[in-house]
Amino acid sequence: MGGLLSYFSGLFGSKERRILILGLDGAGKTTILYRLQVGEVVTTIPTIGFNVETVTYKNLKFQVWDLGGQTSIRPYWRCYYSNTDAIIYVVDSMDRDRIGISKQELVAMLEEDELKKAILLVFANKQDIEGAMTVTEVANALGLPALKNRKYQIFKTSAIKGEGLDEAMEWLSNAVQQNK
Amino acid sequence: MTDSKYFTTTKKGEIFELKAELNSDKKEKKKEAVKKVIASMTVGKDVSALFTDVVNCMQTENLELKKLVYLYLMNYAKSQSDTAIISVNTFVKDCEDSNPLIRALAVRTMGCIRVDKITEYLCEPLRKCLKDEDPYVRKTAAVCVAKMHDINAQLVEDQGFLDLLKDLLSDSNPMVVANAVAAISEILETSPTAQQSLEMNIGTINKLLTALNECSEWGQVFILDAISNYNPKDDKEAQSICERVTPRLAHANAAVVLSAVKVIMKLMEMLDPHSDYITMLVKKLSPPLVTLLSAEPEIQYVALRNINLIVQKRSDILKAEMKVFFVKYNDPIYVKLEKLDIMIRLTNQGNIAQVLAELKEYATEVDVDFVRKSVRAIGRCAIKVEQAAERCVSTLLDLIQTKVNYVVQEAIVVIKDIFRKYPNKYESIIATLCENLDTLDEPEARASMIWIIGEYAERIDNADELLESFLEGFQDENTQVQLQLLTAIVKLFLKRPTDTQELVQQVLSLATQDSDNPDLRDRGYIYWRLLSTDPAAAKEVVLAEKPLISEETDLLEPTLLDELICHISSLASVYHKPPNAFVEGKASLRRSLPPRSQSDSMDAQPASSLESPTSNVSSAPQATVIPGADSLIGDLLDMDLGGPTPFQQQQMYQQMPQQSQPQQSGVVDFLGGEGLDSLLGGGGGMDSLGGLGDIFGAASSNSYVPPAEVWLPASKGKGLEINGTFARKNGQIFMELTFTNKAMQPMVGFAIQFNRNSFGLTPASPLQVQSPLIPNSSASASLQLNTSGQIQKMDPLLMVQVAVKNSIDVFYFSSMIPQHVLFTEDGEMDKKEFLASWKEIPTTNEVQYVITDVQHNADTVSQKLRNNNIFTIAKRNVEGQDMLYQSLKLTNGIKVLAELKIAPGNPNFTVNNTTPVCDTLHLSMKCRVLDIYTGIQTAYDTILHN
Repeated sequence: MGGLLSYFSGLFGSKERRILILGLDGAGKTTILYRLQVGEVVTTIPTIGFNVETVTYKNLKFQVWDLGGQTSIRPYWRCYYSNTDAIIYVVDSMDRDRIGISKQELVAMLEEDELKKAILLVFANKQDIEGAMTVTEVANALGLPALKNRKYQIFKTSAIKGEGLDEAMEWLSNAVQQNK
Repeated sequence: MTDSKYFTTTKKGEIFELKAELNSDKKEKKKEAVKKVIASMTVGKDVSALFTDVVNCMQTENLELKKLVYLYLMNYAKSQSDTAIISVNTFVKDCEDSNPLIRALAVRTMGCIRVDKITEYLCEPLRKCLKDEDPYVRKTAAVCVAKMHDINAQLVEDQGFLDLLKDLLSDSNPMVVANAVAAISEILETSPTAQQSLEMNIGTINKLLTALNECSEWGQVFILDAISNYNPKDDKEAQSICERVTPRLAHANAAVVLSAVKVIMKLMEMLDPHSDYITMLVKKLSPPLVTLLSAEPEIQYVALRNINLIVQKRSDILKAEMKVFFVKYNDPIYVKLEKLDIMIRLTNQGNIAQVLAELKEYATEVDVDFVRKSVRAIGRCAIKVEQAAERCVSTLLDLIQTKVNYVVQEAIVVIKDIFRKYPNKYESIIATLCENLDTLDEPEARASMIWIIGEYAERIDNADELLESFLEGFQDENTQVQLQLLTAIVKLFLKRPTDTQELVQQVLSLATQDSDNPDLRDRGYIYWRLLSTDPAAAKEVVLAEKPLISEETDLLEPTLLDELICHISSLASVYHKPPNAFVEGKASLRRSLPPRSQSDSMDAQPASSLESPTSNVSSAPQATVIPGADSLIGDLLDMDLGGPTPFQQQQMYQQMPQQSQPQQSGVVDFLGGEGLDSLLGGGGGMDSLGGLGDIFGAASSNSYVPPAEVWLPASKGKGLEINGTFARKNGQIFMELTFTNKAMQPMVGFAIQFNRNSFGLTPASPLQVQSPLIPNSSASASLQLNTSGQIQKMDPLLMVQVAVKNSIDVFYFSSMIPQHVLFTEDGEMDKKEFLASWKEIPTTNEVQYVITDVQHNADTVSQKLRNNNIFTIAKRNVEGQDMLYQSLKLTNGIKVLAELKIAPGNPNFTVNNTTPVCDTLHLSMKCRVLDIYTGIQTAYDTILHN
């Protein structure tokens, strides 16, 4: 019975799922958003504020919010937390210097009450560049293994080449449907 | 239960519900919610708590929703200035939207968000929109530049928006041109610094003139106003602009007509007053002005106020149109009064009969104010047109016979003026006047009557009785009447001393003993003293021949008139007041008419002050603005580099006693300062300008020498104590040292060495000290230094480490060089160079300091600084504050530019006349090297405080 219900809800896509794309500045959030939406690489400038687009994947509608990652804008992330179904946390795998800051932001964010039920996807982005940290390195640096009570997954992605995004979306759509 | 529950945020209430709806998935619900929010906002409820939620609805396809969110943003961005940053990205996106309406809407909203923090992020989108393919977007962007300039002028100027704006003046779309012009005008009004980059030249003016024919009426107004601010370089240029503006006189819109009139009135100043072209222009100006008078009364009034100025400047323009100013029975009173005023101005011998008949008619109207003014007008006609004086007087007499109280009073007031203008001519009517003595109840009329009685006391048999009758109620009279009565009785006494002694005693005691009014007492005492010491002298003073009054009364002061002519078609021309008299906070950029200059006589001195050619009132010298030939100097000095003409110089001398002359334009103000003579290099004969004569003399001798300090105490120097200081003498740096031997044995073999230092200071010659230096004696030495030594940047910058050797040991000490000894004599920059450098050096290099409690005025400040090689290049006076522009150069070639603003101190500090005012100086400096600022500031500080 439950399976049938989920089948129908999947078919009609009644409700938009709310997804946040977060991460430090320059991680590739806006590029990922438009890669997901139009399937192309667009030239981006630092996002002072937010972008919001509707992305459809396999009959599921996602309302995707891409928030600016600059220090001055991070305080306003919290304004977007409520009713969030999933967080895509983007990490620049080349940015070894700031992975620590990235971790702090992630940890602080996950402690928010409003995000208790949100699914976490970590994108270890910029894997196309030689010398990038591996997925495991990124996962460890972010302290992902220590996460409890959280449905999460890490993916290696390259927004420029479009690699890894499909798998991630596949996983995401399954995960949100199960979460219902 | 505690009361804390009242303070916890509730999850209920309207705001909470709206919040939920704003975050709804359904677009319709969202839009409804935003509408509700806007509705609450409109009725004054505070919905700022929903800021982020509303802003989050901003990225939408729905134009209506977007507009609503923009509306909300404009209202609350200011109060939510931190959070407003999250809207930036949406603006950026909207400015690149495919729909030009959205692009324009975004750029317009951006301009309305007055949040300094996000302004810089909006520069890039604005830049794109200024070059947008759609003219509507471009014109909106042009206006946005002006708005941004208002928020952050520096940013707009640094980002080169002024140039982009100027480019829009050549846009293919006339609406864009008009809006760019409007934006430029607005920027120029508030920012004197923008002037230079927005200076118009004949090329842009020509483009504007082309766009003029094609754009909307309001666009035309903006363009014409901008053209009126341009000063053509010669009369040919002026004439060609006139020719192209003249067709606008036929426009249906009154504002366009008046703006065109303004341009032409201004440019006419530059043309040969006797040319046929002027005659033709005068003919052309009159019909449109007459047409304005057939509009609604409100427009008529505005037109009349402007015409009032125009006929004062050029009475020939409407001289044939007297009839249109005749009052109609149904004119509102404000129009009537204004028409009356213009009628008088246009009255001449030819039309006086007609005018007088009209005025007589008016004097029998019902409106009291109007009747009064008409009666007065008759008197003014008498004064103005001598041939008609008799007729006027008889008309006035007729009116007095009507016995209408206010008519009689008004008539007496003007008859007094007629007596003054034509003495010994109409005195026969005095008897008639005296009959009406009892009806006078207004102070001015009473005072006038008393004046008449006193003046003609010898012809009025019962003058003493008449005056005595006024004296009864002396204490209750208006001051004006009291003063007049006092004078009249003294006159009477001087004329008929025998029987009026008692009366004069009475009035003098009333004035001096029973009055609280100091003016009255003073006048009483003066008369008393005069009468008691030397009645003959009293007669000469009190009964002195009076100068005749001029034929024109109520004229505006000529410089003010000229300024108002430049403001025709604005509120200033309606108020007859300069804009800064009623608009606060505007940069008081005074406008004045251009001088006449002819292309064929352009020589070294392009501008000569000519008296206004046609006006018979402008006998006073007029300040002139030199058409901006050199745009470089536009912003700072607004004057020509050619030097003053002899006439201007003369004017400058005349002005010296007055510190500032508000009526003069900035040019002359500047000439009055000390900057100019130093610029011209010839200070000769300028001593009257406040001790400037010795500027070019041996200034170095007065250089400030800091007091000597102990560099090496005896305890550290094994008995050798070294005191010293630095000084600059005759262009050389000296180290003044005093060696004291506090040891038990004589010292010999002194030598000195400097460590490498920031300015390469090193001894130019060996140290010469009296040797041996016996115990308990001192010797001083003056060590010349030069700057050829090795350079190493020290910290602090001005530290120099010195080693002194003598027969006992080698001692080390460090001392601080006072920065000002490093200022060289050749640090005086050319004015042009100064301006160029000031522009070149980025603003980020500018620093500002405040120096307080300086007990000098601008002249002594610049003198003091000059003695220490800080050169004042220019000075000007801005709103009562002196601004000094200064330059200096260090021994290593670093140049520093400074602007010194002298804010007058609090007068409370002045204890008595001998204590000068304590001023606060605002110093802002520009230099390419940042490290030296502290030193320079200290130098300023010490120089000015010693």
